[in-house]
Amino acid sequence: MAIIETNGLCYQYQDGSTGLVDVSLSFETGEFTVVAGANGSGKSTLLRHLNGLLLPGSGSVSVCGAAVQDDPARARQQVGMVFQDADSQIIGETVYADVAFGPENLGLSHDQIDERVQAALEAVALTGFDDKSPHHLSGGEKRRLAIAGVLAMTPQVLVMDEPFSNLDYRAARLVLTQILNLHRAGHTIIITTHDLEKVIGHAQRLIIMDRGRVVRDGSPAAIIEDVERFGIRPPCSIKFNQGILPWLS
Amino acid sequence: MAELTSIGFRKGNSVLHRLDPRTKQILLMVFGMAALFGDERFLLLASLLLALLLHQAGLRFTTIVREIRYFLYLLIFVFAVRAISFTDQFYPAISPGGFSEAIFFCWRLLLIVLMGLLLVSTTRTSDIRAAIIWFLRPLPLINEKMAATMVGLLVRFLPLILFQAREIDEGMRARGIERRRNPLVRPIRFSVALFRRVFVRADELVETMQARCYSEQRTLPQLQFSAADGWASVFGLLALLPAFLR
Repeated sequence: MAIIETNGLCYQYQDGSTGLVDVSLSFETGEFTVVAGANGSGKSTLLRHLNGLLLPGSGSVSVCGAAVQDDPARARQQVGMVFQDADSQIIGETVYADVAFGPENLGLSHDQIDERVQAALEAVALTGFDDKSPHHLSGGEKRRLAIAGVLAMTPQVLVMDEPFSNLDYRAARLVLTQILNLHRAGHTIIITTHDLEKVIGHAQRLIIMDRGRVVRDGSPAAIIEDVERFGIRPPCSIKFNQGILPWLS
Repeated sequence: MAELTSIGFRKGNSVLHRLDPRTKQILLMVFGMAALFGDERFLLLASLLLALLLHQAGLRFTTIVREIRYFLYLLIFVFAVRAISFTDQFYPAISPGGFSEAIFFCWRLLLIVLMGLLLVSTTRTSDIRAAIIWFLRPLPLINEKMAATMVGLLVRFLPLILFQAREIDEGMRARGIERRRNPLVRPIRFSVALFRRVFVRADELVETMQARCYSEQRTLPQLQFSAADGWASVFGLLALLPAFLR
């Protein structure tokens, strides 16, 4: 069953440059999708349409069958977005306050907020960090905090913009582990990246974007050979003719 | 980012941490006003009390000086302007009266800033916001939730703005800005870069808040006066007496 659908989605930036051109996609419930493309290919712009942060110039986006334009707030609750820069996503002065920001906006009771915050922190292995200052966390911890902040709103879909950028090897492994756990728990995951190495072995679907258009869409194994011509570096295992190998064993 | 300024809430269990944010804000307003008009006895007493509370809240002297150093530069400038006068021959001179007046003026300003620092160090931003809503609710024609959000964001993001300022300053020095002889180049370049960065940051913040369903109808922290607030108010009033007894 499709949880998100875009039809003929077009978007133009204020300076007149093209953001998206005729993007028609359908994301199934529980699917793990990677959207790849070079810088400026429209990946982040597409993500911002999925939860109503940007509204289409023409075409439409629907989440759970309802048009995003009609109720962006509902779409934002159902499609949680983790931004590329984790620092810019931090709002609270403590880890607890930051994760609680979303549930507070939903008008939940204090008990419900506490329950959701603890569950979200547990899901990303940050239990016990409640009173720490978010700005004093490591890069990987900040990224997991950003995911917790979104999880506390109990979204059905998690969209993540370059979730591994600026992370060292250990932190990237931890973040990827948490993402895979969330996928196993039933979340629909959509990740944008220009670095396929870490994530492609775990994804079920690969979408390639180029200059605002979807140029390839299918299983990773079917289209991975094509990625280099769109400015994306193929995983090392492909270069060495070993097929797609998972980054985490 | 780990060296982010420590102006901001610090978890603790001091007397001020345990007080209701409304009590703290009322005491801040009253003591702030008294600091503007009180004599040296009051200023001395307020300084001692403030030093005690800052120590109890876990704020070290060196940390405070580091965090408010830009304000201290401003204070030195204000002191110089108020203390130094010019003779008929345009020679700079310091009169005892002017010197004393400048000392008192700067002392008052410093006390008010330290009181504000103490408030934000011992009170969560969400509690400050909830208290402001409580204060503004009876006033007509004021959107108390909007006003409280604006104040809350200012308190929350002031350290980030200072952090950005420090980064921009370091970036400019790394590229030899100190070699420029024109004294206006550095402040102009610095201001343009800082404003640009602050506006970008503000845009990112708005997007982040929208993505997490920001609404004015949010669940607010539960505020409750306790016996400690009563004692703090009585003690505060007693401490204020020297400001009015001449």
